[in-house]
Amino acid sequence: MCAASLSLEDTGSIWHPSHHEFGCGGDFRIQTMDFNLSREQTDIQKAAQEFARGEFNPELVLEYDRKQEFPLPVWKKACELGFAGLHYPEEYGGQGLGILENALVAESFCRQDSGMGCALALSDFGSEIILQNGTGNQKKKILESLAAGKGLMTLAWMEEGYSPRTFSTTAKRRDGGFLIEGRKSYVPLAELSRFFLVLCQAGDEEEGQTALLLVGDIQGKDVSVRREKLGMRMVPMNDVSFSVQVPAENLICGEREGGQALESFLNAIRIECGAMGVGIAQGALDRAIEYSKRREQFGRPIGAFEVIRNRLSDMFMSVVMARHILYHAALSMDQGKPEQRLILMTKRAACRAALDVADSALQIHGGYGYMTEGQIEHFYRDAKALDLFTESGSRQRSLLAEEITSWRS
Amino acid sequence: MEILKYSEEHRKFREKLRGFFDKEVIPHADEWERSGMVPRSLWRRMGEEGFLCMHVGREYGGAGADFLYSVIVTEELARTRQTGLAAPLHSDVVVPYIGSFGSEELKRKYLPGCVSGKIVTAIAMTEPDAGSDLASMRTSAVQDGDSVVLNGEKIFISNGIHCDLLVIAARDAAVEDPYHGIDLYLVEAGTAGFEKGKRLSKMGWHSQDTAELLFRDCRIPTTNRLGSKGDGFLMLMEKLQQERLMCSIIAVAAAENILSTTMAFCREKRDFGRVISRSQEVQFRLVEMATEVRLGRTFVDKLIADHMEGKAIVVEASMAKYWTTDMVMKVADRSLELHGNCGCCEEYPVARAWRDARVMSIFAGTNEIMKGIAAKFMGL
Repeated sequence: MCAASLSLEDTGSIWHPSHHEFGCGGDFRIQTMDFNLSREQTDIQKAAQEFARGEFNPELVLEYDRKQEFPLPVWKKACELGFAGLHYPEEYGGQGLGILENALVAESFCRQDSGMGCALALSDFGSEIILQNGTGNQKKKILESLAAGKGLMTLAWMEEGYSPRTFSTTAKRRDGGFLIEGRKSYVPLAELSRFFLVLCQAGDEEEGQTALLLVGDIQGKDVSVRREKLGMRMVPMNDVSFSVQVPAENLICGEREGGQALESFLNAIRIECGAMGVGIAQGALDRAIEYSKRREQFGRPIGAFEVIRNRLSDMFMSVVMARHILYHAALSMDQGKPEQRLILMTKRAACRAALDVADSALQIHGGYGYMTEGQIEHFYRDAKALDLFTESGSRQRSLLAEEITSWRS
Repeated sequence: MEILKYSEEHRKFREKLRGFFDKEVIPHADEWERSGMVPRSLWRRMGEEGFLCMHVGREYGGAGADFLYSVIVTEELARTRQTGLAAPLHSDVVVPYIGSFGSEELKRKYLPGCVSGKIVTAIAMTEPDAGSDLASMRTSAVQDGDSVVLNGEKIFISNGIHCDLLVIAARDAAVEDPYHGIDLYLVEAGTAGFEKGKRLSKMGWHSQDTAELLFRDCRIPTTNRLGSKGDGFLMLMEKLQQERLMCSIIAVAAAENILSTTMAFCREKRDFGRVISRSQEVQFRLVEMATEVRLGRTFVDKLIADHMEGKAIVVEASMAKYWTTDMVMKVADRSLELHGNCGCCEEYPVARAWRDARVMSIFAGTNEIMKGIAAKFMGL
């Protein structure tokens, strides 16, 4: 059996239990908890998995990783088939589906390949802010393009020595519009993005943050340093400096409302990264299981050794726990009752699973695991990069601590 | 009281070595990481300066120096941010096979070159289907008159491209017992039938020329055999103790280096408007890391002392190899976390250190094998 032939049912089976109702028989049934994906959801999962198997050619993957390039042709194809903007309303070019469905796609993509999966999942980085806060016109213009594969999007918010309350990049009112001045760091896909959302300090006096949109190549937006990366190499990151005048209609949400928009964006990205992490973990597990059955040492498959078997069990457990948190968190958002505690746990739990499982998978692969052609080492690097991406686990832990103690530090 | 007694000469040697690395290695490390190899001239320079095979006797061109000189070179190399100059592998893993088991003729022929850097060595044990299960190797050595004919494939061989002289482990198919059918031979690069394959691309150790080596009817003189016929496995078992110890020395030195880099970063950089090291969480983490590094240092220094006294440290060396290599990875991993977003950028030294550290729990016998050996010798 090779990795590519593994079906979702092999290891994802806890989401397909044979009993569809919990209960003790008779009339007494508890139906408030349903752990099953719907038929439509499993179809989406399957379609994403099939697409990824067909398009994420293993050699192509290694080449993009080596060149540190975004896989434009693969992304275009994914958009054509409707995998982008799954959760945008249909009137804006989306499928009108939920965050959970979106997560299922990201998970399936990352399961097939961590690098390609992360790249595709982040191709509309920041679009959540438009989706939640944009005007009808803005949504139409931007989301439709993103879903159709006509452009990538990014959000520039982090800065070197970043503090969440005060950015050094400012947007001051000038000539009926805004003047953006400053420098942002770690901006994903900055060199390729058509839509560029910039989060700025509203004025000189620390009065909240303003989100402004830049479209296309604009004079005064200077994409400079490109960072060589440890992982997630198909998502290049740049530093970007700004000295740009933008018209007032490019304001997203109200002036000084960017900070709130950022917080809700962060919730969305926690789910997205959670899905990526679960996918990476599952993909690494698939490969570890497959390899430990195939690789023979001391006259038997290494999967027959007790420590390897138990390690595979631990890996499986990590994946399932992270997936439970992810699906529950995503579902709570789709149901309009976001469970903030779960959302705060999602990225951390998934990244930890991805890292631990990929680490174990690499160890099980031995010397081959350390080689590029072994494929597993980039899962491991991507897991680490994902953990470090956008916000570290420590921020989520401190926010979670606030939630559970009702006490701000 | 210091566990290891470094003399004034040792200290001077370390200083001289550091000066050499600062000038001729560290400034080029990034370039070599990109090109995938260190220049050949670097090996010669190391030899000229007396930094290779210091333990080799004066009669063969060496310095007859004690093991602490090897420790010094190994530790200082951990600061250089490159892995291509695998001097400990050459000096302290491969060449000792020649020194201990080679005939007088072989020693006279090869050791002076190993010391001068004219000859770079490698050792080939691992095969595509024989990794942890070393005894299952299939590369064959068939006696034919005065020569031995080698056939087979070796993989993941460090110094594989640079090597001029290879110690190869091969099997005599006529001997049934896998543990008595293995012999070690010296093969010169350029011998007909010995082909160096492609340089392998890896997660880390980018400047290290790890390669596949192929043998097709490669004919060498029988006199190139090391030791007595059938003793190959025993020789490996004897020498692997020092190899495992070298891994532990590298691991601890690398961990110390990563820790000091991370401490400096946390003292200097700000996150959420506050110097990172002012966070209680960060402080506790760094203290935990420093504690583990100290534990590793103490353990390894003690083993170095024991090893120099000629004590059998099979169990301890296996423990140290597994524990220190796991430890350095943990330290590297936490260090990346403390670097936050910067950790993902290759311009910060911890990113490379993290990639490089990961192989250490795999090479020179996986950590699973280390635990298996320890368990066996502990009578479990």
